[in-house]
Amino acid sequence: MTLKSLCASAVLAVSMIAASGSANAAFPEKDIQFIIPYGPGGGFDRAVRAIAPFLEKHLPNKVNVLPVNTPGAGGRRGAATVYRAAPDGYTIGIFNMPGFLLPAILGEETGYDLRKVTWLGRVEANDYVLLVNSKSDIKSLDDVKAVKNATFLSTAWGSTVLAASQIVADALGLKDATFVTGYPSTSDYQVGLVRGDGLLAVAPIESVYEFIESGDLRPIASTGKNELLPNVPAFSELNYPALDSLNLERLVGAPPALPDDVKAVLEDALAKTLADPEFLAAAQEAKMVLRPLPGVEAGARVTASIDVYDHYKPVLGKPAE
Amino acid sequence: MLDSLLTAMGILFTFSGVIYLILGVLIGLVFGAIPGLGGTTAIALLLPLTFGLEPWEAITMIGGVMGATTFGGSITAILLNTPGVAPNAATCFDGYPMARQGKAGIAIGAAAAASTLGGIIGVVVLVITLPIARNVVLMFGPPEFFLLALLGLTAIAASTGGDTLVRGLITAGFGLLMSFVGYDDVSGGTRFTMGIDYLWDGVQLVPALIGLFAIAEMLNLSVKGGKVANVEALPINGVGEGILSVLRNYPTLLRGSVIGTIVGAIPGVGGTVAAFLAYSVARQVSKEPESFGKGNVIGVIAPESANNAKDGGSLIPTLAFGIPGSAEMAIFLGVLVLHGLTPGPMLLLRHEATIFSLILALLASCIVASLIGIAMTRFLTRITLVNVYILVPAVISVALVGAYALHASLGDVVMAALFGVIGYFMIRFGWPRISLVIALVLGGLAERSYHQAMTISKGDPTVFLSRTVSVVLVILILAALIAPYAKTILSWTRRGATAR
Repeated sequence: MTLKSLCASAVLAVSMIAASGSANAAFPEKDIQFIIPYGPGGGFDRAVRAIAPFLEKHLPNKVNVLPVNTPGAGGRRGAATVYRAAPDGYTIGIFNMPGFLLPAILGEETGYDLRKVTWLGRVEANDYVLLVNSKSDIKSLDDVKAVKNATFLSTAWGSTVLAASQIVADALGLKDATFVTGYPSTSDYQVGLVRGDGLLAVAPIESVYEFIESGDLRPIASTGKNELLPNVPAFSELNYPALDSLNLERLVGAPPALPDDVKAVLEDALAKTLADPEFLAAAQEAKMVLRPLPGVEAGARVTASIDVYDHYKPVLGKPAE
Repeated sequence: MLDSLLTAMGILFTFSGVIYLILGVLIGLVFGAIPGLGGTTAIALLLPLTFGLEPWEAITMIGGVMGATTFGGSITAILLNTPGVAPNAATCFDGYPMARQGKAGIAIGAAAAASTLGGIIGVVVLVITLPIARNVVLMFGPPEFFLLALLGLTAIAASTGGDTLVRGLITAGFGLLMSFVGYDDVSGGTRFTMGIDYLWDGVQLVPALIGLFAIAEMLNLSVKGGKVANVEALPINGVGEGILSVLRNYPTLLRGSVIGTIVGAIPGVGGTVAAFLAYSVARQVSKEPESFGKGNVIGVIAPESANNAKDGGSLIPTLAFGIPGSAEMAIFLGVLVLHGLTPGPMLLLRHEATIFSLILALLASCIVASLIGIAMTRFLTRITLVNVYILVPAVISVALVGAYALHASLGDVVMAALFGVIGYFMIRFGWPRISLVIALVLGGLAERSYHQAMTISKGDPTVFLSRTVSVVLVILILAALIAPYAKTILSWTRRGATAR
């Protein structure tokens, strides 16, 4: 070997060692993007903006965590953005379960596979409540079961609320239920229920608590015991334990095949954030419903949800015309 | 209630309150004037910045933005025939011809006064309706929404009268077709998306508007060359005359404001339809309808009062149930959520002072925005003297950036460019663009409400006549269709009588 080629290979070897070293050593080295698959002002947006500053605080090195709104296609654009990003830890996102699961169950193309996402943890979990207009005669689950031609109100076809309504209707044996879909938001179909467009609705408790408090709507049962509604029975207490598995979760995820060391740093920072007393105070102010879970358990929740909704697939067909 | 009002006033009339208000007004004016940006974008961009502010500071600033955007947009509408925001589209019809006749100052003065007074009337109507706000919102269900959308659509057909009627209907049909592109909320599945992910959300209004009005107009201007204003010397004292013309035409002002408040209260319909309906009605009741479109100042007063009154109106469903009456209100509710205030039926009960802060900020903003605009009129009218070769590339670049700024999506930019080309040819061959826009805005609402109404009634069509409101709406629709012919029929009978 000539001297030149010896030096060249030495330089090459040293730089390779240095490069592989730095891949592990200093994550994060630059700003991290925290993708929000919805527009500004909603619950997911609020959650990420509350978390981001504390994530910055608990990450090693001084980097920024930047919330980025990437709305479109009902959340799929944002989810696909995270899924397709480079697995280097600089792109993470907040995920809607079972919202992002439903398109696949309903046979639609998505651009991501929830089984392959690297789950970093769960932030919030909301239970659903079954509601009627306070002026109605329906006061208990037995009354609901006796209704003929029940009409449920919900948001768009493919939404988590519609899926929950269909599953509840099926479980309660309401064979001839119709579903009026297409209300633009939760508030819209709550008002619809007050107006009398339909008889029944299913909604996340936190979104509709105001309507219960104001006396407009009456809660019949919920998918889990909830401090906000202490007098409302859970479905499991009324012999429908399967319905308690329905809820709305917000999970933090990263692209598939994230290296373990990077994942550990992010997971750790998230866990510290969710336990930080200052964050807890901010979350309380922002009315978040914190039910934190670490990465592994969050992943297990996703698998469990996939099984639940797969099981109910026949019921989730298109609403009858 | 009185002490909440006093608390709110105490907050607004402090040094920092005024600063936040003026900041909001300036942002609103600029975002309103630049085609493609607008109140919704402004508030969305401000939302994360308000994270560190006190709730009342955020609300005062955002109230300032909301009250100022449509006046900012009217300036570009008048000077460049390009609506700054969608609700200014109707202002172009007579505002721009006025600018071409060298009367830009009068038009801006009229727009300023109409915006201020319209906004005030909107808030007054809001306050009067508050006790019955819930009942008002409950009166409008899916059948009524369908009829309202239909009324909006018939107003297009009725007012592009004469030889452009057929063309108006054709472009409206095209607009309806485009409103159906995308994911169908009612029965699932994507329509006309041709596998393109971007089209999942359908044809977005703002990029379409930027293309059809801003870019198309610039293309047209660059083909014609020269300058906007046809006359050499500009009379600078037009502003005072403009303001007086609003006071003289107070019936138009009142009609426009009431229409604006009512239509603004309907979630999802908003300022564009309100402004256009006000314009159409003004034209229908005028003694010289042919003068519209040629520089009649009433054609500026009507839409401008409506598009400010709608802010007061959009608070009605918000305060009754927490349903935003407009896109800006939707993001504003997000700001409230961020600061721990939950929108819902209890919002007004729990946070009276906060809501009064918003209402006061809205009121103050209408006034302040107009004052700033009037102070700058002399400077602004000079834009009509700028040579086209400088103006056109500047406006097109800003418009395309505005299209991108909305959702950081290149699809929006492509859409804006496409509509720019389509819009240019529509101008060239005399096809009305506003009917396309109205149809695009109302198509989705009409279809969704129709399906919902039929599902609720289980296929029974009499659901569209079940409430008093629906019957009134049906009568209004029939009136809108017959009105243009009523005059002709009346003049025939009169001619018949005199002939004998």
